[in-house]
Amino acid sequence: MNRLAQDAVLVGLVRRLRDADSWGGETHVQKAAYLLHELRGVPFAFDFILYKHGPFSFELRDELASMQSDRLIEREPRRLPYGPQLQVTDRGRALEHRMQKTMARYGEDLDWVASWLGGRGVTDLERLATAMWMTRHHDDASVPARAERLIAKKPHIELSDAIDAVEEIDALVAPTA
Amino acid sequence: MPFQRLRNIHQLALTYLVYPGASHKRFEHSLGVMELAGRIYDTVTRDDKRSDAVRDVFPSAKDHGYWRTVVRMAALCHDLGHLPFSHAAEDALLPDGVDHERITWDILHSDMATILADLVPPVRPDLVGKLALGPRKAEKLGLRLEFDPWEAILAEIIVGDAFGADRMDYLLRDSLHTGATYGRFDHHRLIDTLRIMPSAPREEGEGEGLAEPTLGCERGGLQSAEALLLARYFMFSQVYYHPTRLAYNEHLKDFLVEWLPDGRFAADPSAHLARDDSDVLCAIKLAARSPSAPGHRAARRIVSRDHFKVAYVRSPDDSSDDVRALADAAAERFSPELVRHGASPSRGAAPDFPVFDRDGRSVSALGLSDVFGKLPTSPDEYVLADRSIRPELARWISREREQILEEALDAQTEEIDEEVTT
Repeated sequence: MNRLAQDAVLVGLVRRLRDADSWGGETHVQKAAYLLHELRGVPFAFDFILYKHGPFSFELRDELASMQSDRLIEREPRRLPYGPQLQVTDRGRALEHRMQKTMARYGEDLDWVASWLGGRGVTDLERLATAMWMTRHHDDASVPARAERLIAKKPHIELSDAIDAVEEIDALVAPTA
Repeated sequence: MPFQRLRNIHQLALTYLVYPGASHKRFEHSLGVMELAGRIYDTVTRDDKRSDAVRDVFPSAKDHGYWRTVVRMAALCHDLGHLPFSHAAEDALLPDGVDHERITWDILHSDMATILADLVPPVRPDLVGKLALGPRKAEKLGLRLEFDPWEAILAEIIVGDAFGADRMDYLLRDSLHTGATYGRFDHHRLIDTLRIMPSAPREEGEGEGLAEPTLGCERGGLQSAEALLLARYFMFSQVYYHPTRLAYNEHLKDFLVEWLPDGRFAADPSAHLARDDSDVLCAIKLAARSPSAPGHRAARRIVSRDHFKVAYVRSPDDSSDDVRALADAAAERFSPELVRHGASPSRGAAPDFPVFDRDGRSVSALGLSDVFGKLPTSPDEYVLADRSIRPELARWISREREQILEEALDAQTEEIDEEVTT
């Protein structure tokens, strides 16, 4: 996807997540973008790695920073001890408007992910995205085996939560498999 | 042998033509990173720094010597793959999909493997490579490495955005050698306040200790961390992406593309290790004297200091692609031989890290600091031009800017619409 189109889609993602009551911090955008890419095939040009709090893309982090310097989004400071939230600026909304065909192409995917994840906490997102990672990289493994792999990398996650997350991902992957 | 080669790789490429003192090499930088990484490791693993919330992340006491060696070796080796003249124009001078980190990885698995195996205790090259590259580069290289919390913290000690030993050393060392004092900050204080701690809550309702442990600093080190980020901000503009250095990078790239066989450096470790800055400097000197030599014009520009100069500087109104669009239009209007686009990478937003507050809570640094959120993130960008056309080109851009940018945006939007429709 062309960079301008990608920025428009990311603006759309941030806006929809916030509209759907998500906290909308960088972690939320990272996990939502990863799941959009894996589950709906949205062609972001980012590579992800299993890192802090699950799949994470430094390229996406850089792009979000670049979008801030282009004043498409901004960081909204929150009261301590929390980190900032992202929000879309007027300039960001103008980009979405300009890229109507792109937004029409991916709008349904963005609505889907926002309604799925908007009400979920960041810990849920971390579990789901990591479960997706384990499923993508060990797709022949059973649910318990993938859950075990998940907690091996993320020991602070309970096994029962890991199993739930893998099952939730399986339910979403199955119809398109 | 792979490490000794760094004695002949300039840390800051041709920056010594702008700041005469900047003739230091990657060799001493690598030693410095090893020393600082060891000091950070010793600090964050001290007994008094281990709170109950993160105790599980530490390896057993008998393994500490091993991990300390791994960290120091990774820090020492993190720059082994640098090309002659370091970062200058690396993208254009290596085969597709290869960069200096990939070469570092390959050297660790070839020439360095036996050296690492002979250490006591022996150290695995893949572990050293993992920490030397860190997750950002591993992602870029498509190595599909997975970092557990301990490995992620150790990689942060070396190449982390907030407190990495690499960043600390290059800012202090480059500042010392250039004389640009912006790069200084109180690294003793900063290192002494580092600790491993739970991430700060990322949203309301997220319980304490649910997020995985990471590297943070105590409240008393926040000002030193701010000073480090400010140092980086100033050094970017004033040293690393000084427009004259960017111009020399372009001339060096032009020379190398003509001088190298097939216009590229070889990527295999043995060929890579056989070449350093001294080979390139000799070739530049010879080519500058001989009009028929490959790369003569670029070599002459470097030797006689006839570098391009600034014709346009990115304005606050310019977006990411605007200055490149202006440079492309100017190259078409005047000549691609006489115009270049020179840019730093985007600085990236200030990293968020946890701060160990006085009441023992993990608090977001971005929430606590008034400085982090206000650092400009825009890259430094220029249109650079030969001196003979610079005044005319500057006037032309000033006159045509709006129209050029509008046409470039229309063309890009049309292209995207077409792509989406098909």
